[in-house]
This record gives sequence, structure tokens and C-alpha cells, in this order.
Amino acid sequence: MEQNRFAAAFKQNAIWLVFIIEIAIFAYFNPKFLSLPNIINISRQVSYYGIASIGMTFVILIAGIDLSIGSIIALVNVVCAYLMMNMGWNMWLAVLISLAMATAIGILNGLMVASIGIPAIIATFASQTIFRGLSYLLSGGLPIPGVVLENPTFGFFARWSLNKWGIPGDFGLIPICAIIMVICFAIGSFILNKSYFGRYFYAIGGNEEASELSGIRVNRMKYLIYALSGFFAGLAGIVLLSRSGSAQATAAIGFEFEVITCVVLGGVSVAGGIGRMSGVIAGVLIIGSLKSGMIMMNVSEYTQMVVQGLVLAVAVGFDCFSKKRQTN
Amino acid sequence: MTEYYEEIDPSKRKALMPDDEFVRELYDDRYSDHERKGRKDIDWWLWRCICLQILYGRGNFFRYFRDKEVVKIIDELRMNDTEHREILYNEYRNVCRRYLSTCRSGNYASRFMGFRQASDEEKIIKACSDVWQMSEGIASSAGKPQEMRLWIEAFRDELFAYDDICREEYERLREENLR
Repeated sequence: MEQNRFAAAFKQNAIWLVFIIEIAIFAYFNPKFLSLPNIINISRQVSYYGIASIGMTFVILIAGIDLSIGSIIALVNVVCAYLMMNMGWNMWLAVLISLAMATAIGILNGLMVASIGIPAIIATFASQTIFRGLSYLLSGGLPIPGVVLENPTFGFFARWSLNKWGIPGDFGLIPICAIIMVICFAIGSFILNKSYFGRYFYAIGGNEEASELSGIRVNRMKYLIYALSGFFAGLAGIVLLSRSGSAQATAAIGFEFEVITCVVLGGVSVAGGIGRMSGVIAGVLIIGSLKSGMIMMNVSEYTQMVVQGLVLAVAVGFDCFSKKRQTN
Repeated sequence: MTEYYEEIDPSKRKALMPDDEFVRELYDDRYSDHERKGRKDIDWWLWRCICLQILYGRGNFFRYFRDKEVVKIIDELRMNDTEHREILYNEYRNVCRRYLSTCRSGNYASRFMGFRQASDEEKIIKACSDVWQMSEGIASSAGKPQEMRLWIEAFRDELFAYDDICREEYERLREENLR
């Protein structure tokens, strides 16, 4: 029995072993991979993947999918920049409005999936197209530059770091965006493990009808989950805008697939009901390190796309294969 | 009495309820809103049964909290009651029967974000896995097989009556997870 427990624990945490092996391989080929500036760079890079992946984890846990998060990020970029640059709004107000809008888009997705009954993949694909189009309409297809130059405080979300005295500023050791990501992961983990809502998410993903019979308001939960997915995508959009300093309607194209890769790689089953936040953290770190490592090894952007696609196929394939093996 | 335990709809069960104080007590306990507010059609025992399955999937990091909750559920579902074993056994079977009644729906065990419905065999195999996890699986991993013996027996017997392949599948799961 003890041996069995050890095997189960190993199986649950095998993803971390994959991460360590990956780090070792990149560090072997390029010793600068483990240098402090690169680690800080990776933490900045993974932060917006990490933040968006929390909402996606909730959605996939209920056997759903959200293909609209890339478009939400683009729209949040454009709207936030438009409010600050073209209308002269206060930075925090613009951020709040953008986050509220992202959450509202999530609620709209929830409405289409839960109340109208459109399959999640179609509903969120429609949202993806609508809101990408809106981003183009609002920006006129042109970038809105100088967001951080005009509003230096906006750099707080991605460019600022904490120095050794814990004071935020342009120079420091721990990027604020990485701290935001860690806080979001802590909240996500709390929701999944310690709150009733997390229980409901697992229950709905495992057996929706039994959940309904046991007293869970399944439709309400779906609204909540898609709203959370929209909110976290919006927050990721703010971090991305702060990092790039310029809003573009073309931002985050294909981003949803990278986030899905992180989540599925982290062990969240596409069939729903199975998955843990710690696995998703590992998935995010693996994808972040993979991207950084490939850039450092001068792998072309096209090859990087091929590798990322393969990782997604392997992760989903492994999940489906293990389910099929169980059936046979 | 048998009809009462074969029926899974709460309102029909109420009409069939035998004149027994303990049975009535169990009924009230099972279908009352223990923690969540404002909803009348609640099957609290079914919910706790789903909770057991979720607890089975928890990582070892939260093991202490998991085991603590399993003990709480054992108390809530009166698994330690030795006086009314037969009534409890039948009620547990009814909970399992109600769970299994949901395992034939179109959504259950569907694949690829709901694009492909699972075959009947796939559904039965997933149902076996679910029932195993919420009974013997969680009892073994939380170290409570003795305390949950009646619960395990009831769930196993109901599952074996569900379909012919369940016995073989249940044994396979036992073999795979408890060796």
C-alpha cells in the first residue's frame, strides 16, 4: 500500500520531473539559461500565460473550453490604451473598466454555453471572432503606442520590480508581474482546494447530471467559471499591455492554444473533472522555459511553432490515450 | 419496503415511505439543505458521495485535510451506526443507484469537449471507476476501510447489479490500485 502511495505521488508530480529535465537540458547547452537575468526574463514572460491559465483551468475542469481569451486580451489592450491615450482617463479607472469588460465578455460566453446551450467550442470561437473584430474597429487596425511613456505608472504591472528592500520601481529583482501571477495562482489554488466553488467545478466536470441532482446550480456555476476566465484573461491583457507599452488589435493571436497547452500539459483532463493547480504551474513553467530555451538556442520562430504544436498534441494525446487504455 | 429503496425520485419516495422513525429521519437528513441555502431539490447524500470521489482525486499535499473530511462524511452518513445496518445498507444502495442513473446521460463521459458521445461500454467503465473511487478507493487511501465497510458493500453490490461487466471492472480497479 505504501509503495502504491509512493507510485501515485510520483505519477501526480511527474510533470515537475519533466520540468527539471528540461531545465537541465537547456542549462547544459547554454549555461546562461540559468543566469539571474534570464530567470527574471522567463518569470516576466510566463506571467501572463500563468494568469490566463488559471481561468482556463476552471473552464477545462468543467469539460469546457474558452477560445476567446486571445481576443479578450487584444480588446482589453485596445480599450485600456484608448481610454488612457485618446480620452485621457485615469490609469486605474481605465484598468478597472477594462477588467469589468473582460468579465462581462466571460459572462456572455457563459450565457451562450449555459443558457442557450451552444457547445463551448463554437460559442467561444464566435466570441473570439467578434471581439477580435471589435479590437480592429476600435483601433482602426493601427497600434496605439506610448502607453507606458505617457503613463509611466502603468509600467507597474509588468516593467516594475521589487528591489531588495521590497520597494517597487524600474529596477529590482522580483518582477511585479511574477508576484501578480503567484497571487493569482494562490487564489486559484484556494478556490479549487479550499472553497465549495472548487468542489462544484470538479463535480460538474465529473458528472454534470449528478451535480445538478445533488443541488448544485450548474448553469450559475458555468456563468461564474466563464466570468472568471474572462477576468483572468483581462488581467493578463493588462500585464501584456504594460510589458509591450503599445496596444495592438493583433496582440495575443493564437494565445488561447498556448494557454490550453500549459493547462493540459499540467495534467488537467480535457474530459473534465481531473486536474490540480500545481500541475498547471508546472505546465506554465515548462512552456515558458521551452520558449526561452529555444530562443537562446537560436531556434527559428517557425520551428518554435512546430514544437509548441507537438507539445499540445502530445499532452492531449497522452490524456486521451490514458482514458482509452482505461476503457480497454 | 423494497419499492421504497428501488425508487430514486425523492417525491415518489416520500409517498412510498414506510412507517419507521429512523427511515423518516434518514429521508429528512438526506434531502435537506445542510449548508447551501435556498434550494429545495437537494440530495445531500449524493453530494457527499460526489465529495468522496473528489477527495479521492486530491493530491497528497492536502492529505491531512482530505482524511479529516472523510471522517466528517463517515459521521454525517452514519457509517458507524451498528444498530440500523440493514436500513442504512439499503439507503446507501439507493444513493449509488441514483448516481448510476445519471451515468447513461448523453453528457456523461463525453469526449473532446462534448463533440463525441461516449459509447455505452465507455460509460459503464467510467461509472465503475467513479463508484470505486467514492467507496473502496477513498476508504483505502484515507485508511478507513473498516469504518466504511457497509458503504463499500452497498456501493459494490449496487454496481454489480448495474451491468454484467461491472464485477470484472471493479476487480480490475481493485487489483490495479490496491496491490
